[in-house]
Amino acid sequence: MANLGKIARRTFLIGAAAIAGGVAVGYYVYRRPYPNPLENELAEGEATFNPYVKIGADNTITVIAPRAEMGQGVATTLAALVAEELDVDLAAVTVEHGPASYAYYNSEMLAEGGPFPFFEEGVVAELMRGGMGAFGKFLGLQGTGGSSSVRDGFDKMRTAGAVARQMLLAAAAERLEVPADELATANATITHEASGRTLSYGEVAAQAARLDPPSDQRLKQPADWRLLGKSQPRTDMHAKVTGAPIFGVDVSLPDMLYGTVRMSPRFWVEPVKADLSKAEKMPGVVKIVPIDTSYGHGFGVIAENTWAAFRAAEAIEVEWGEADYPQDSAAMSAFLRDALAADTGDALRDDGDVDTAFADAPHDKVVEAEYEVPFLAHACMEPMNATARLKDGLLEVWSPNQMPTITRQLCADVAGVDTEDTRVHTTFMGGGFGRRGEMDYSMFAALLARETDGRPVKVIWTREEDIRHDTYRPAAMGRFRARLGADGLPEAVDMKIASPSTIASTLRRTFPSLSPLGPDKTIAEGAFDQPYTIPDYRVAAVKADTGVPVGFWRSVGNSFNGYFHESFLDEVAAAGGLDPVQMRLTLMADHPAAVKVVEKAAALSNWGETLPAGRARGFAFTLSFGSWVAEVVEVAETDAGIRIEKVWIVADVGTALDPGIIEAQLTSGAVFGLSSAIGQEITFTDGMAEQSNFHDYDAMRIHQCPAFEVAILQNYHKMGGVGEIGTPPAVPALANAVFALTGKRIRSLPLTREVDFA
Amino acid sequence: MRLTVNGNPIELDADPDMPLLWALRDLAGITGPKFGCGIAACGACTVLVDGTPVRSCSLPVGLVEGEIVTIEGLSGADGLSVVQQAWLDEQVPQCGYCQAGQIMSAHALLEEISDPSDDDIDNAMAGNLCRCGTYPRIRAAIKRAAVEKAKTGA
Amino acid sequence: MTVLARLLTAAVITMLAASPVHAQDAPAVDDDAIAVDREKGLPEWDKIVAVLSHPRCANCHVEDAYPRWSGAHYGTTRIHAFNISRGEDGSGFGNAALRCTSCHFSSNSSKLHGPPGAPLWHLAPAEMAWWQKSSAEICAQIKDPERNGGRTLDEVATHVRDDPLVGWGWVPGPGREPAPGSADETFRAIERWAAAGAPCPAD
Repeated sequence: MANLGKIARRTFLIGAAAIAGGVAVGYYVYRRPYPNPLENELAEGEATFNPYVKIGADNTITVIAPRAEMGQGVATTLAALVAEELDVDLAAVTVEHGPASYAYYNSEMLAEGGPFPFFEEGVVAELMRGGMGAFGKFLGLQGTGGSSSVRDGFDKMRTAGAVARQMLLAAAAERLEVPADELATANATITHEASGRTLSYGEVAAQAARLDPPSDQRLKQPADWRLLGKSQPRTDMHAKVTGAPIFGVDVSLPDMLYGTVRMSPRFWVEPVKADLSKAEKMPGVVKIVPIDTSYGHGFGVIAENTWAAFRAAEAIEVEWGEADYPQDSAAMSAFLRDALAADTGDALRDDGDVDTAFADAPHDKVVEAEYEVPFLAHACMEPMNATARLKDGLLEVWSPNQMPTITRQLCADVAGVDTEDTRVHTTFMGGGFGRRGEMDYSMFAALLARETDGRPVKVIWTREEDIRHDTYRPAAMGRFRARLGADGLPEAVDMKIASPSTIASTLRRTFPSLSPLGPDKTIAEGAFDQPYTIPDYRVAAVKADTGVPVGFWRSVGNSFNGYFHESFLDEVAAAGGLDPVQMRLTLMADHPAAVKVVEKAAALSNWGETLPAGRARGFAFTLSFGSWVAEVVEVAETDAGIRIEKVWIVADVGTALDPGIIEAQLTSGAVFGLSSAIGQEITFTDGMAEQSNFHDYDAMRIHQCPAFEVAILQNYHKMGGVGEIGTPPAVPALANAVFALTGKRIRSLPLTREVDFA
Repeated sequence: MRLTVNGNPIELDADPDMPLLWALRDLAGITGPKFGCGIAACGACTVLVDGTPVRSCSLPVGLVEGEIVTIEGLSGADGLSVVQQAWLDEQVPQCGYCQAGQIMSAHALLEEISDPSDDDIDNAMAGNLCRCGTYPRIRAAIKRAAVEKAKTGA
Repeated sequence: MTVLARLLTAAVITMLAASPVHAQDAPAVDDDAIAVDREKGLPEWDKIVAVLSHPRCANCHVEDAYPRWSGAHYGTTRIHAFNISRGEDGSGFGNAALRCTSCHFSSNSSKLHGPPGAPLWHLAPAEMAWWQKSSAEICAQIKDPERNGGRTLDEVATHVRDDPLVGWGWVPGPGREPAPGSADETFRAIERWAAAGAPCPAD
C-alpha cells in the first residue's frame, strides 16, 4: 500500500474514541494485570484461579464468558476454550457472563481500528494493531463488537484453562505425594495411574487456587483438541427451548416496579411544553419524571405494570422542540450529495495516480455511477430495556448490553453514585447487532431508579420507541468511476463515500465533552480495504453529519460499502465484457486466501452453468473483520415477484473453532443483509423517523428465506471474525443477481424501490 | 379474574383491557411469552388458547376464553416435548428471543398437520419473525419433529 | 313476500324467458323486470359502492388469496404481510397454526397499528371480490345470488346492517379511515336502491 507515512501521521477517530474513554475511565495501569473480580463474589467452598475459572468443593466448574451472548454463540465457544485446556466436558461446566470488570478488557475490538486492510502486515500496520490492542487493555474496555470476542479470547481463555489445570495438578501432586507429571486429567478428575488413586478437581481446588500460577504455560496443539474445531451443543440451548427467564425483560426482583420511556422523536431536542396531568391520573401510574441525558430528552413513566406504563406514556401530552438538522430524507440525501461534491475527503487508499488516470481517459472507457443507502434500524427482537435498583448507596443495573464497563460508568454518572458502588449484571440478549453497545436504555433505568425509594424498576421500551430512537446504520452515498483497459479490466478506480461518522456520533452521546478529530475509517471500510490490485485505486471517506444519531449496525461500514464496491465492480465487469467472477479472480491474484474462497464459491454453485429461463445469479466478495467471504445468490422470477432461491456462502475464517456455530452465523448474517435489501429503510419527515414497528419495518420471514449451502475454509494464517461477515456480500450478490435477471442495475436500497420480492 | 394456564388455575386482579401477555408476565410471573412488538406483528408472544396459537400482546385478557398453554407448559415431567427436543437437536436458537413463539406455532402446526410440507410450514410460521435468521434450522426442526412424532405416535 | 323477493322472482322468470336482449346483463336481476328508476337508483348505488369499494371493505374482498393493507403508515395498498392467505382449505380463515383469528380477535386492538378485530374475522369468498373492481362489476356481483352468498337484496341489506364483521368497517380502530356513512345508512341506501329497481351503472 502506498502512502503509509501519510496515513500514519494522522490521528484516527477510533484512537480518539479510545483516548476519550481513557480520560473518562481514568485507569492507568496498563502493565499491571487487573485484579480478579471473582474474588469478591465467591460462594461458600468456591475457589477462583483467574478471572475465567471458578471451581467449587462439590466439583462444580464455572467458566466466565465475559462477552455479550446475543445469539452468536460466543458463550459456548469461549467456554470451550477454557474447557479444552482444563480437560473437562462442556456439559460439565456452568457458563456465566460474570461481572462488569476491567479484567475482561477486549484488546481485539480496537485492533483493526487503524486505517489498514486486514492483509496489510507492514511494520506500521502491526504497530498500530499493537497500540490499539494496548488501548483496549489500558481502558479496561469490556466490550463485544467488531466480531472480535473469540479472537480476543483465543489465547487468554485457553491460557486461563491451562493455568488452572496446572495448578490443580500441582496441588494434587502435593496431596498424593507423587510427581505432577505422573498425573493425568480427564472429566474434571485427576488420576494417578500407577496407584489408581483419583482426586476430583473440587477436592483440590481450594488448595490449588492458593498456589502461584505457573510461569510456563503450554497450550495443546490443535491436533490434540477434543472440543475445539468440532461443533459443540450450545450451552444456552436448553434454556432457549424452554422459555427460561434469561433475557433483560425477564428480570424479576422482589418489590419491583415497571416503567417505560417517551423520548423526543426529534433527536436531541427538549420538550417545549408538556402536560402530564392526564397520564399521571391513569390507573397503575406511580410517577412520571423528566429524562435529560446526552442521548436525548423526554419522560420516564414508573407504574405498577408495564402495560400501565405504556398507556400512560402514550397519554403524555407534549410538544417537542424543532430539529436543528435536515428535516427529511430528501434533504438528508441532498446534504450527502453536497458533501460529496464539496469535500475531497480522506483517501484511506490511494494507489498510483488516480487523477492523472482519469484526466486523459477516453469517454467510452469510463464507467460512472452514484449509489445510495438509507438509514437502518437494528430492530432487535428484544426491545431495549434494563432494570435498576438504587438502594443504600449501591446502584445495580441488570442490562442486556455489549459494553459493561462503560455502561457501569455512565449509569453511575446519571444516578450520582461512584463507579465502585455500581454493579452491572449482563443478561442474555434478544439480539444485539451493535444496538446494545449503547448505554441509553441502561442509563434511563438508572435514572428512574433514583425515583423509587430503593425499589427496583424494570424499564421496557415499546417497539415504537425502539425503532424511532435507534442509533441507526448511517445513510451513505458514494460516487464511483472506473477506467477500463483494452482487456476490459479496470485500470483505475476512484471511489468517494459520504456518510455520517459513526464514531463521532457515538462520542457525542457517550462522552459529549470530547470533540472527534480525524477521518473515520468506518465510512470507507469494505471499500478501501479489499484485496484487489488495481494500478490506480483511490477510496476516500467524507464525513457528513446529518444530525441523526448513528451507530454500529452488524458489519458497520462494510454493510453499505460491500454493496457499493461489489455492485460497482459488477457494473465494471459488465461494461468490460468480463465474467464477474473471472474478473475478481484476476484482480485478487495477489491474495491466495481470497482466490481460494472465490474459486470454492464458484465450484459449489456451479457458477457459469446455463440456468433455466427466469433464473439468474449474482456474485459478491467482501473481506471484513479478518474473514474472506464470497456469496452467490440465485433468484427466480415468480408471479408474486422475485424469489431468492438459494445462497452459497464460502468463508475463510483462518481457524474455525466451531463449524456449527460458524455456519449459523454465516447464514444469519446473510439473512440480516438480505432483509435490509428487500425492504428496510428508515426515512425521516419533520425531523422524525417515519417507521415505528414491524408493519412498516419488517425483516425476512421464513417463506422468503432461501436455501443455504455453506463452506468454511481455513487457509489464512490469522483468525477472522464470524458474527458479521455474512452480511456485507449478501446485499450486492442479490443486487447483482437482480441485474442478471432483469437488466436493472439498482443503485439504491432497498431494492424494493424498483422491483418486488416474493 | 380467573385463568387456566398450563393446567393451573390462576387468580388475577387485572384490568380486562390489559393484554394477556402483560397479565402473564407482570402479574402471573410467566415470562416465556416475550414482548416483541405489541401489535401482533412478530409472534414472540404466541401462546395457545384451547390449542390455537394467539398473539397474547394484542388479546385483551378479558376476552380470553379457554385454557392457555405457554412454552412453560409444553415440557412435562418426562422432559422436553417432541418439538422442543427437535429444536435442541437441530440447535435452532441463536439469540433465542423469538423461539418460544416459534415453538408454540410449530407445536400447533404439527397438531393440525402431522406431516407438513414446505408450503404448510411457510403458511404457518411466517407470522413469527426471527431477526437472527434461524429459519433454515426451524424448517429442519419441524420436519424432524414430524418424523419423531410419527415414530412415537406422540 | 317482500318487494325484494318479488323482484328477484320476477328476475328469475325473466331469465327463464331468456330474452336475447338481456343476455349480457347481470343474470339474477333484470333492471326492466319492474319499474327501474335509474335517476333515483343510481345515486343510491353510488353511496353503496363508495362503501363496498372502500379499503375497509374491499381489502378483504379480494379475488386472489391475499388480504390487502392500506392507509396511513402502510404506504400504497399492499398485500398483508406475514404470508397471510385465504387458507389451503379455501375457508378464508387462514392456514393451520396461522388463522386470521390468531391475531384478529373479537374487538379492535386499542393500539395504533394493532390488529383490528371483529367476530369471525376472515376473508370473503373470492367470487365476492370488490378490490379493484369497477362499480358496474361490483353491482352485478352484489345482485347475483351465485356470487353474493345466495342472498336476496333484502338479505344483503340486513347483512350489511347486522353483521358485526361488516359493521367493523365503520369502527375500524385507531388510525384507520372508516368506510363512509354508517351501517344503517348503507342498509337504507340498499333498500332505496332495490326499490328503484337496483339499477347498475353502465360502467
